[in-house]
Amino acid sequence: MIRRVVRFAWLASVRQPARTALGILGVIAIGALLFDMLLLSHGLVLSFRDLLNRSGFDVRVLATDARPFAGPSIEHAGDLVRRIEALPEVEAVLQVRVRQAEIAEAVSDSRNDGESIEFIGTDPPGRAVWTILEGRDLPSANGGALVVNRNLARQLKLTVGSTLRLRGACSAGSAVLPPVTFTIAGIAEFPFDDATATTVAGRLEDLQRLCGGETGDGADILMVRSRQDLGAAAAAAAIKRTDAGLHVVTNQDLLERFSRVEFSYFRQISFVLAAVTLFFGFLLIAVLLTASVNQRLGEVAALRAVGLSRTRVVAGVLCESVLIVGAGGGLAVPAGLALSIWLDRILRELPGIPVSVHFFVFEPRMLLSYGLLVGASALGAALYPMWIIGTLPIAATLRREVIS
Amino acid sequence: MIGTIVEARQVSRIFRMPAGPVVALNDVSIAIAPGEYVGVVGPSGCGKSTLLHVLGCVDIPTAGEVRFRDLDVGSLPDAERSRLRLREIGFIFQRFFLLPMLTAWENVELPQAEAGADRAGRQARTRELLEYVGLANRANHRPSELSGGEMQRVAIARALANRPQLLLADEPTGELDQATGEQIVALLDRLHADGTAVVVVTHDPAVAGRAARLLKMRDGRIVEDSAR
Repeated sequence: MIRRVVRFAWLASVRQPARTALGILGVIAIGALLFDMLLLSHGLVLSFRDLLNRSGFDVRVLATDARPFAGPSIEHAGDLVRRIEALPEVEAVLQVRVRQAEIAEAVSDSRNDGESIEFIGTDPPGRAVWTILEGRDLPSANGGALVVNRNLARQLKLTVGSTLRLRGACSAGSAVLPPVTFTIAGIAEFPFDDATATTVAGRLEDLQRLCGGETGDGADILMVRSRQDLGAAAAAAAIKRTDAGLHVVTNQDLLERFSRVEFSYFRQISFVLAAVTLFFGFLLIAVLLTASVNQRLGEVAALRAVGLSRTRVVAGVLCESVLIVGAGGGLAVPAGLALSIWLDRILRELPGIPVSVHFFVFEPRMLLSYGLLVGASALGAALYPMWIIGTLPIAATLRREVIS
Repeated sequence: MIGTIVEARQVSRIFRMPAGPVVALNDVSIAIAPGEYVGVVGPSGCGKSTLLHVLGCVDIPTAGEVRFRDLDVGSLPDAERSRLRLREIGFIFQRFFLLPMLTAWENVELPQAEAGADRAGRQARTRELLEYVGLANRANHRPSELSGGEMQRVAIARALANRPQLLLADEPTGELDQATGEQIVALLDRLHADGTAVVVVTHDPAVAGRAARLLKMRDGRIVEDSAR
């Protein structure tokens, strides 16, 4: 029976091209939006997870639970780093301190003097969280070298080997500090940079020199890489045991917090929009099929009189729904992907958004969720017209059709 | 009754309407034998179509019993009644009710496919039926491309698709001009001559005059049952 039902539904669809095209176009529009909402619902979390994991460190140590670089520093960080490095659960530790600096004089004839930039001081070298694009990373032996981000390199026309004079702007109210000259070792991509960020990275001793020694032995954050066989949670617990006053979070903890708090806005928006989209999709198909069925009541009654069973005519309506929603839903996936690229580009232009963060991220399992939602919508939309057909009184309908 | 295709025994059919119950059939008894040609006449609303629907197993009487080849139709589940209609009964409607998205060929083929006929058998039977009704050259036309008479001939071919014992026609010439109507009546005559039992509900005395047995109805009752 299935072959006959599908063939009949197929003929009904292709031989009523206007109705079918209208239905498919509607499903494409709605399906594309629904698909995008699904990509948005998890996109930021997935993208943020990739961003965190890309650094190669899976535990972060802070002085308090304030946001990184917004709270107090960790005092006597050098000693703490040594104790953490000695833990069997830990593979490596990176001490990080971030301060503002001003361009004192660039090598080019640019007019950027006095412009503020972000200086990331890290130790030890060779464990960078950035990706070198040109040149090389910070040398382990000598100070005075910097890696700069592409934005700054482009603005100041910096190349590998050129020099840059910076003046520390380390804390409000501090005296004007003397400029320090650096040599550009490499040009790098910093994962948390937004589109307009100007960032440099150097060794902690250089940052200290830039700030006139006021940064001391502190750190804004310690980045810790756990032993792969023991995992981040074990490393975090061991660090906590070393100093219970520290705030220790794994990437997973951060992700959960962001998912629950910072990104919940997007999740709620995407959920509401997905629900509304789904509802409109349901309405579109339900109205289309109901109108189509109501126009054909006489034919359906005649088919029942000729001998087609109730199951057979009901299955025909369901199959028509599945064909329209299947075709439209399938075509909606590439349409949704194209739309998501466009929307993503718009959203990523928001200030403060890291360049490598995406709002819409595709995951294969999204296709499954999408397919299930669209399938449920097709079935739900077909229920009412199926009920009309299933309960159609044959004789009364034939009589009514003749009278009308 | 021996040799009866369908028999209605003291059948009543009452419709519950907002203005009160309407008695469409009132204690009607009738038997149709194989090969009979029966005309049913009477004023509008006298119960002709309802009788046809009850005999054709598309409606269940409020009281009484309908037996089709000794099967109690009222006790059959819906799927069984559908199967009975598919294999044993052919229906012709005043408004043809062909499926507009199917060609003449596909409309005739549809009941055969539903009955499980194989492809070769369906093709041979469809070709034979379209030739029988004189529409072999219109096989690939859809109903919108056919005249009223042609549509009714396709509907007749569809009704005959599974070689039914009983053909029920409800005002088969009601939507047609006189000349086209006569073609349809001639086709019914031929069917009867070929051995199919035919029951025709009609307002047209010319159509009724072809039947060998005439039922006159009034107010839901058969008031005259005459053989000619």
